[in-house]
Amino acid sequence: MHEMSIAVQIVDQVVELAGQNNATRIDEVVVEIGLMQLVVPEALEMAFSVATESTLAEGARLKIVEQEIEAVCRDCDHRYKPRIDCYLCPQCGQANARIVAGNDIILKSVVCETEQEAQLP
Amino acid sequence: MKINVVENVLKANDAVAEANRRRLEQVHLLAVNLMSSPGSGKTTLLESTIPALGTDFPCAVLVGDLQTTRDAERLGRAAVQATQINTGKGCHLDAAQVAEGLKGLDLERLAFLFIENVGNMVCPASYDLGEHVKAVLLSVPEGDDKVAKYPVLFQGADVILLTKIDLIGVLDFDRDRVLDDISKLNTRAPIIEVSSKTGQGIDKWLAWLAEQRKQRVETLE
Repeated sequence: MHEMSIAVQIVDQVVELAGQNNATRIDEVVVEIGLMQLVVPEALEMAFSVATESTLAEGARLKIVEQEIEAVCRDCDHRYKPRIDCYLCPQCGQANARIVAGNDIILKSVVCETEQEAQLP
Repeated sequence: MKINVVENVLKANDAVAEANRRRLEQVHLLAVNLMSSPGSGKTTLLESTIPALGTDFPCAVLVGDLQTTRDAERLGRAAVQATQINTGKGCHLDAAQVAEGLKGLDLERLAFLFIENVGNMVCPASYDLGEHVKAVLLSVPEGDDKVAKYPVLFQGADVILLTKIDLIGVLDFDRDRVLDDISKLNTRAPIIEVSSKTGQGIDKWLAWLAEQRKQRVETLE
């Protein structure tokens, strides 16, 4: 449900990065999204296409990579991969998980075109 | 050209949240982020919590809603500083909105800040506001299947309040099912059954709040 605000934050960062690299156009954006963010990929793609309108990223492809959930048990320090609906520690049986992955939204890479590249034959 | 980056998209929010947390800790204030579906009794719980904390523990509330100032007006009647944040189309509060809300509060004289999030069981779970503890509410009329349907919210809770517990006798609400679902997600958070109407369990909630603030202040000293 918060895909639009995520899309706006992605576009802000991508456009800033493109500016630093003197890009004239952005072709592709890769983001890794934690399963606990409960993002619906289709909704994010739609929001991204709206958020990129009239920016350097207009028309860019958005690639979404899933990030699995990883947790460390606060009781026994065991590191494990819980399912989104069950956080029981396989070692001690408690559900006292400190989430170390699966809650992030990470910008991984941006493919863009610079002025010099555009001038190449 | 391809630019490889590994940058957290939520870093802007997280940085503001951390600044909020430090600002609140400077004045020994405990911030509680209240999250639940709309109509589960967040505002009503605060209406009974704040007068009960009394003059020993002055409170303020930042309350988020898409529209209207109704909640702030209700809480204002409980003689508390209450600031409404209208998120417009936003389905959750973010740290910048809280930072803005803090500017209007006299933080030095407060013991607790309650941040009443937008009623929603999905999006608020993803945004750190700078709170110290997360309180998640589930009201009996919502039904006993909600914990399993919204696991992320309950997994991250520091305390879980079963509200409107006075209705448990008249509704088909399977308490054991709820407790069993919570036990797979979160064995750390205490579960407190409360009714703002009858006052049941409010003393336990107040004791939990006081203990959290005491622990927090002790770690700062």
